[in-house]
Amino acid sequence: MAKKEYLMGNEAMGRGAVEKGVKVVAGYPGTPASEVLEYAAKYADVRVEWCINEKVALEIALGASLCHTRAMAVMKHNGTNVALDFLMHLNYTGVRGGLVLISGDDPGGNSSQNEEDSRIITHLDAHLPVFDPWCPQEAKDMVRAAFELSEKTELCFIVRPVMRVCHARSQVSLEEITGNGKEPFFTDDRSRFIMSAVKEPEAGGVLRPVIRHRWLNKKQPELLQIMEDSPFNHVEKGEGNIGLVACGIGYAYVREAEKILGKKFPVLKLGTLPLPGDKVAGFAHRMNKLVVYEDSEPIVEGMLKELFYDRDIKVEIVGRSGFLPMEGELSTGIVLKSLAALYPELEKSVPRTAPLEMKIPVRTRTQCVGCAYRGLLHALKLMARKTHGVVTGDIGCYDAGSFLPLELQSTIYCMGSSIPMATGVAYSGTKQPVFSIIGDSTFFHNGVLGLINAIHNAVDMVAIVCDNRTTAMTGFQPHPGSDTDITGRPAVAIDIAKLATAAGATSARTVNPYNIAEVAGALEKAAKEKGVSVIIASSPCYLLGRRNGDIGFTPRKVSLNPDLCNGCKICIEYFGCPAIHFSNKKATIDQAACVECGMCVAVCQRGAIT
Amino acid sequence: MNLNILIAGVGGQGNLFASSILAEYFINQGHEVLAVETIGAAQRGGSVVSHLRISDDEIYSPLIPAGKVDIILGFETLEMLRNFQMLAADGRYLLNDYQEPTVLCNMEMDTYPTDESIAAALKKSGKKGYLIKATECAREIGDSLLTNVVMVGALCQLSPLLNRQEVKQVLAGKSPVKVREPNLKAFDAGGALVKSAMGQP
Repeated sequence: MAKKEYLMGNEAMGRGAVEKGVKVVAGYPGTPASEVLEYAAKYADVRVEWCINEKVALEIALGASLCHTRAMAVMKHNGTNVALDFLMHLNYTGVRGGLVLISGDDPGGNSSQNEEDSRIITHLDAHLPVFDPWCPQEAKDMVRAAFELSEKTELCFIVRPVMRVCHARSQVSLEEITGNGKEPFFTDDRSRFIMSAVKEPEAGGVLRPVIRHRWLNKKQPELLQIMEDSPFNHVEKGEGNIGLVACGIGYAYVREAEKILGKKFPVLKLGTLPLPGDKVAGFAHRMNKLVVYEDSEPIVEGMLKELFYDRDIKVEIVGRSGFLPMEGELSTGIVLKSLAALYPELEKSVPRTAPLEMKIPVRTRTQCVGCAYRGLLHALKLMARKTHGVVTGDIGCYDAGSFLPLELQSTIYCMGSSIPMATGVAYSGTKQPVFSIIGDSTFFHNGVLGLINAIHNAVDMVAIVCDNRTTAMTGFQPHPGSDTDITGRPAVAIDIAKLATAAGATSARTVNPYNIAEVAGALEKAAKEKGVSVIIASSPCYLLGRRNGDIGFTPRKVSLNPDLCNGCKICIEYFGCPAIHFSNKKATIDQAACVECGMCVAVCQRGAIT
Repeated sequence: MNLNILIAGVGGQGNLFASSILAEYFINQGHEVLAVETIGAAQRGGSVVSHLRISDDEIYSPLIPAGKVDIILGFETLEMLRNFQMLAADGRYLLNDYQEPTVLCNMEMDTYPTDESIAAALKKSGKKGYLIKATECAREIGDSLLTNVVMVGALCQLSPLLNRQEVKQVLAGKSPVKVREPNLKAFDAGGALVKSAMGQP
């Protein structure tokens, strides 16, 4: 019997890649996919790297693949957007060593800014094959198969797990670590790897993009046959003539619902794109209705409609285009509800749930107690109020400053958009001063380009970089500003202030965010300057610092004198430390929660906190 | 056997460690185990919910379906209440008497339910369960971070599906040397809390 280990889906995918002899794994951290790369980093003979962004990661992976080395790129769905430009070229060139892209999706937006379905860009747009696993074991099997098939077809294979598969833990079979047995060596094939609008003499002057596009199209029948024979698609017999098409995680919820109802329906389990057309058609012929369960867009549903139109198969198809909810995450509950709608007699078997009869307060996200960014956000909020300024935000821990009670940042979109959006605000003609705020890892990821653009165009703005020396939001991964890499090897730390200065910023001031007066002084000066003024608020992440014995402040016990507190709430609405409570028109300090950073002393204008 | 355990708490309470001890115990017993955490940005004061599913058959959904939770372990009061509707008709709860106010409650922008309203709502639900002072007990042993182990110890007393001695062995094996003794102490203390709670009318 194969050895089994209790692994998280992400670890299982990392293990699958290692078993198939992957030698280069590159990615950018992001929930739900981060642990794939962290697992692979345990193997010394695999070059594992947290890259500056996902596009760079995919480019690195292909570079290795072109030398016949197996390589993998790991990212979350937002990151796949960043890598899309490159993906839309490597689909035309193909690969040499097996190349797998893991694109972790977050239906429901549990930990993301959107809930997009990355099957759209990877399959419908890039025309690349996609595997959509339903459980950790299948996720691992799919990564293993993807490496083999990638080399066989010369195409990059995508594995698209959703968050519940990434984070699920179960017993997973371990297999031998093998490889493709190839020595790394680069040989030229310029007609493939020079992607350019060049006329091909051998093809009668047809442009190369057309020829490579044709090459990709010709791969599709081969892929169809592979998916027809794939173990990741199968049919299960059952009662009735309503067929349940269970895609990816949808299979888990459909089987779970069957178990609860004590019924077996006809099920077409699908885990691949393209779809196995013959298998699908064979299943559909016996049905008069199909219900497609997929997370989260009606992709398979649409593909089935197209397929059945072409094959003249008349069967009703419903799914996430309206019969099932069009937004949010799929669940067993949604499957049960839909089955009860189709078979009213099943209604009585659906588990009843009754929420408690009380209002339950929501738990919003905020900065940790002791986080240096709270001092920065406080000073910036005072400045923004005084100057009627606009603050554009970005992705990272500091983004919680945009929620209650601070409500500081006015925009948050995607990685790096804070500085270009501030530029646009400045160009709009408004007289409001503009501030942008971005974290260190996000700055390197995509923010630096916006900064250079703003400096080049002499935009009047203040760009604040929150530098806590780690990618804190996703679990403390190193970034180009760190002096070690994922394996602890020394790395060249890029100095943000020097970078801004070299680019020609009007000023680049490094301040200690725990020192509110210092931050306020820097903001005052910067706001008066012409051009782009950069402020780097630099101090180690408190959570990480506490772990490493390197916190950014000298602990001091604080107390609040209730006689001096006039209930002005500046410590709440302009600071918002969870250790400061407010009741009966007075603030109090929760000493059990306080970590003694002492920042609140400078916040209180009445001298009540000492 | 089919058992669905839901652990509801906040970031930093050690849900994952509690879940991993139980998972290892049930795997050792030869059962299928499927677990998942809903984490989000938990380190920043958010909710953390661990789903742990144990069965002799194949388990499909990593998330326990609503209405199918057999036991809910409430590491924090509000988080248990939030997930209470997940309980099965005959589901039971084990609640740690510990309240982590939300940021907005702290600031009088929202209201944390009162003890009376919580007790009334739980009573009205008709569900059986116990309220134990696990965090207080953990503090007495030396560290509130032992709350998770107190709760695991309490669960082993509550459910006949867990063998106390064998779970304790798993705990000992998974505990770093530094915290092994306090962990084992916390485990026993959790059992004692439930014993005394059960003794009450």
